[in-house]
Amino acid sequence: MAKSDSPMLLQGTLDLLILHALKRGPLHGYSIAQTIHLLSDQALKVEEGSLYPALYRLELDGAIAAHWGVSENNRKAKYYEITRRGKKLLAAERETWSRLSLGVQRVLARQP
Amino acid sequence: MRRLFLKLFRRRSMERDLETELAFHRDMAAAHGNPIPMGNTTVIQEHARDLWRFTFVENLWRDVVYGARSLRRSPALVVTALLSLGLGIGINTGIFSMAVEFLLSEPSVTDARSVVSVRMGGNSHSSKEVVEFVRASGLFQDVVGEYEEASINWNDGVETRQLSAMLLTKNYFIALGVPVALGRGILPQDPDEVAVLGNHFWRTRLRGDPAVIGRSIRLDGRPYTVVGILPNNFRSLIGFGFSPDVFVPRYLDDTILALYARLKPGMTIGGAHAGLLTVAQRLDKAMPESFRYADDIQVAAVGGFDRIKTETEMQTVGLFFAMLLVVVGLVLMIACVNVASLLVARGSARRQELAIRLSLGAGHGRLVQQLLVETALLSLAGVAFGLVLRQAMASAVEQLRLPLPIPIRLHLTLDWRVTLYAILLAGFATLACGLLPAWRSVRQSIAPSLRREGRMRLQRALIVAQLALSLIVLTAGFLFLRNLWRSNAISPGFDIRHTVYADVNLPPQEYKDVARKRAYVTQALRELTALPGIESAAAARVIPFTNNTTFGSSLTLLDTGKTVRALFHWNAVSPDYFRAMGIPIERGETFRMAADAATRPVIVNRAFAERYLPDRDPLGRAFLWGDNQTPYAVVGIVDGTKNLSIGEEDEPQLYEDLARIDNDRTRVQFVVGSATPPATQLQAVHAALRRIEPNAGLEVATLYSSIGLAFLPSQMGAALLGGIGLLGLMLATIGLYGVMVYSVSRRTREIGVRLALGADRRDIALMVLAGAAKLILIGSAAGLLCAFFLVKPLAMFLVPGLHPSDPVSFLAVAALMAITGLAAAWGPARRAASVDPMTSLRYQ
Repeated sequence: MAKSDSPMLLQGTLDLLILHALKRGPLHGYSIAQTIHLLSDQALKVEEGSLYPALYRLELDGAIAAHWGVSENNRKAKYYEITRRGKKLLAAERETWSRLSLGVQRVLARQP
Repeated sequence: MRRLFLKLFRRRSMERDLETELAFHRDMAAAHGNPIPMGNTTVIQEHARDLWRFTFVENLWRDVVYGARSLRRSPALVVTALLSLGLGIGINTGIFSMAVEFLLSEPSVTDARSVVSVRMGGNSHSSKEVVEFVRASGLFQDVVGEYEEASINWNDGVETRQLSAMLLTKNYFIALGVPVALGRGILPQDPDEVAVLGNHFWRTRLRGDPAVIGRSIRLDGRPYTVVGILPNNFRSLIGFGFSPDVFVPRYLDDTILALYARLKPGMTIGGAHAGLLTVAQRLDKAMPESFRYADDIQVAAVGGFDRIKTETEMQTVGLFFAMLLVVVGLVLMIACVNVASLLVARGSARRQELAIRLSLGAGHGRLVQQLLVETALLSLAGVAFGLVLRQAMASAVEQLRLPLPIPIRLHLTLDWRVTLYAILLAGFATLACGLLPAWRSVRQSIAPSLRREGRMRLQRALIVAQLALSLIVLTAGFLFLRNLWRSNAISPGFDIRHTVYADVNLPPQEYKDVARKRAYVTQALRELTALPGIESAAAARVIPFTNNTTFGSSLTLLDTGKTVRALFHWNAVSPDYFRAMGIPIERGETFRMAADAATRPVIVNRAFAERYLPDRDPLGRAFLWGDNQTPYAVVGIVDGTKNLSIGEEDEPQLYEDLARIDNDRTRVQFVVGSATPPATQLQAVHAALRRIEPNAGLEVATLYSSIGLAFLPSQMGAALLGGIGLLGLMLATIGLYGVMVYSVSRRTREIGVRLALGADRRDIALMVLAGAAKLILIGSAAGLLCAFFLVKPLAMFLVPGLHPSDPVSFLAVAALMAITGLAAAWGPARRAASVDPMTSLRYQ
C-alpha cells in the first residue's frame, strides 16, 4: 500500500470519527470518508481498507444500523445510521478522547 | 448473543453487500475526481469476512478437507505415521488401562466412596463375633465380613475339584449393593446353603447355562442352591482383578472375616475412625484378647486415589506403573520423532506450494495451522489404530492365565479415563510431530537461501534425539531382562525340577478330628512312596512361594536363660520333607517317629541359628516358645529356603513336626520327589490321592508350575520392559533407515560426481556408513548419559545385587544399538554405492 501523507489514525479513533460523522444523519460509506476528510480540513484521510472493516464491526456491535437506499446520483448505496447504543458509545469515546488528547497536549506543552 | 444471531442469519448477504458497496465507493471517488484508493479489495473483503463468519471453525474445516486430500497423495507417509503412532499410542493406552484397573478401579458396589475397610487391633481379619459387635454398635449404616481365600470342594458328579470361594456374611449383597447379572444376591433370610457364582466359573465350568439358577451344586459334600450369577465385569473389594469362583455364606465357626462397612450419609473417614475407637474400647471390655482392639485402628477407602493414599502396597504398584508410563511415553516420543522427520522431508518438498500461498497473502499462523491440522489428522488416525491395538492387547492380557494360586481376572475396559488419555496423547503427538516441521517449512519458504544442508541438520538432530531416547528405553528393558536371568539363576533353596506338588482340601465335615487328619496324611504318604519312580513324599503346612506363615514371638533359651524376640517363617512338615524338597540337612537329623514327648523337636535354618541361637552349638539347644511350657529342642539344622520372593535375603525359618502340631486345617499339601521328570508322575499321584479320599478337592501339578508367583514379578518386568525396549529400538531403526535413504537420494548427484571423478564404490558405501555411525555414536553417547541418571530409581524393582548403573548393561545396549543402526544404514549405503554416475549427472 502506498504511503499516505495524512497521519495514521490511532487505533480506536476511527470508530469515534465515524460515529461523530453520523451524528447529523444517515450517510453512505463514501460520504462518511468525505465528511471526515472535510471536517478535518483535509488533514485526515480514511482509507477504504480501514473504513469498511470498521463499519462492519460497528454494525455487529450494534452501534450503527445499515439499510440500502438511493444515493444523490441515483445509485443504490448502503446508508449507515447511528443507533441509541452508538450515541452512548460516542459520548463515552468522546470523553475518553478529550481526556487523552488534553493529557498529551499538556505533556507536549511543557518542557521536561 | 446479538452478534451470534447476526452472524448466523446475515452472513450470506454480507458478502454481496460488501462488493456492491466497494464498487459504489470507487465510482464515487472517481466521480469526485479523488484518486482511486489503492487498497487491496481482497484484503478488505477478507477482513470484513473474518468479522462476520466463524472464521476459525470454517478455516479449520477447510484445512481438514485440504489436509485429507493432500495426505491421500502420500500413502507412504500415512502408513509409516499410522504404524509408528499407532504402536506408540497403543502401548501407552494399554499400560494406562492396566494402571487404571490396578490403581483406580472401583469395586462393584453401589456408591463405592461410602464403603470403607475396617481394621482393629492391627488385624486384617476378625471373628464373627467382632463383626456382629461392630454392626450392633450402630456406628455404620451396615457392616459386612468376607473371607477371601477359602477353598471349597466342588463335585460335578464325576470329579471333585477345588474352587476358590469367598465366604461372606449374609447381609453382604444387600449392604454393599453388589450387582448380579442373573438371579439375585444372597439375602439375610437365606439358609446357609446358597451360592452366587462368579461369571467366569459359570461360563467355563457350567457352560454359561442360565437354567443353573435354582438348581443345586455340591460344595464340600453339601447341596447348595445357586441363587445368582455375578456380572462379567465384577470387581471385588480387594481389587487387582481378584475374582473367586463361588460366593457362599460363612459356615465354619472359626472362619475369620475381613471387615467392610458402609458409612452413614455425611460421615467422613476421620469421623468413622473416631467413632470406631470408642466401639473398639467397648469391645476390649466385652471380649478381652491378648491384644487390644483399640490399639491399631484403620479405616480406609476401598477404591480410587483415597486407597492409594492409605495403602503402601498400592503405592509400590503405583510407582511401578508410573515408571512404565514414563518408559512407554519415551517410546511414543520416538514414534513422534519418526513422523516428524518424515514431515520435515515432506515440508521441503512442499516448499514451493507454501511459498506461493505466502506470497498470495496467507498469514504464517494460518499456514502453520494448516500444517498442524494435517498432523492432527495423522495422530487421530494413529489414535484409532492405537485403540484397536490396545483392545487386542487388553483381551490378550485378560485371557492370560497367570501362574498364581489365586484367581485373577482383569477387566481392561476402554472407559472414559482411557479415552481421555488417548485424546491427550493425540494432542501431544500432534504438537510433538508437527510443530517443529510446520514452523520450519513456513520459515524456509520465506527464506529460500537456507539450503539443503540446514534441513538435513534438523533431521540429523531429530535422529540423534531418537537414538538417545531409544537407548534409554532399551537400557531399562535390558536391566529387567538381566533381572530375569539373575532371578532364574538364584536357587530358591529347594529342588523345583524333580518335585510334584499336590494340594488337597479334605471335606471339612468328615475331617473335624485331628487324629483323622493325621491318619489320612500317614496313609497318603505311605501310598505315594509306594508308587513306582517316586523317591520320597512329604506333607507340609506351607509350601514356599505359594503361602507363608510368619511368627513374631519371644523365645527363652533354657541354657542361658536369655529371652530373644524372634521373627521367623514357620512351617510344619513330615520327616521326609527335606529329602523330597532336596533341602540339605547340614547337621543333625530330621524328625524321628518315636521321639520323647518331654520336648518338641524343631529344625531351624542357618539364619535362625545364627540370629537367635548364637555363641554356642545350636544343635540340641532348647528354648521355650512364648507361654508354652513344653521346651522345643533343635534336632537339625538345614540350609533353608527362600519364602516369598526369589530375590529376598535368607531369613530365619523354623520347622515343626507336622504329626505333633494341633492341625486345625483341612488343607494338606504334599511334595513328592520323583526320579523321572515330574510331569510324567502327575497322573499316578492324582490317582493315588483320589483313591484314598474320593471326596477331597484335589489339584496336582509340578512344583515348578505352582510356584510361578515367585518368578512372576521378574518375568512380568522382563516381558513388559523388554518388549517395550525392542519396540523402541525398532521405531528408532525405522527412523534411521528413513533418514539414510532420504539423505542418499538427495546426494545422488554428489555421489555421481564423486564416482565420475574416480571415487571407489567401496569408499562411497563407507562414507554413507560413516555418516550413520556418527549419528549413532552421538545418539548413543547422549542416550547413555541420560540413561545413567534415569535408570537409577529402577533399583527398587530389581533383585539385590543387580545395580542399575552396572556398566555391563550400558555396554551391551550400546553394542546392540550400534549393530542394529549400522544394519539399518547398510541398505542405503549399498544403494549409494550402486549409483550410476551417468544417470545421476543427467538427472537434474
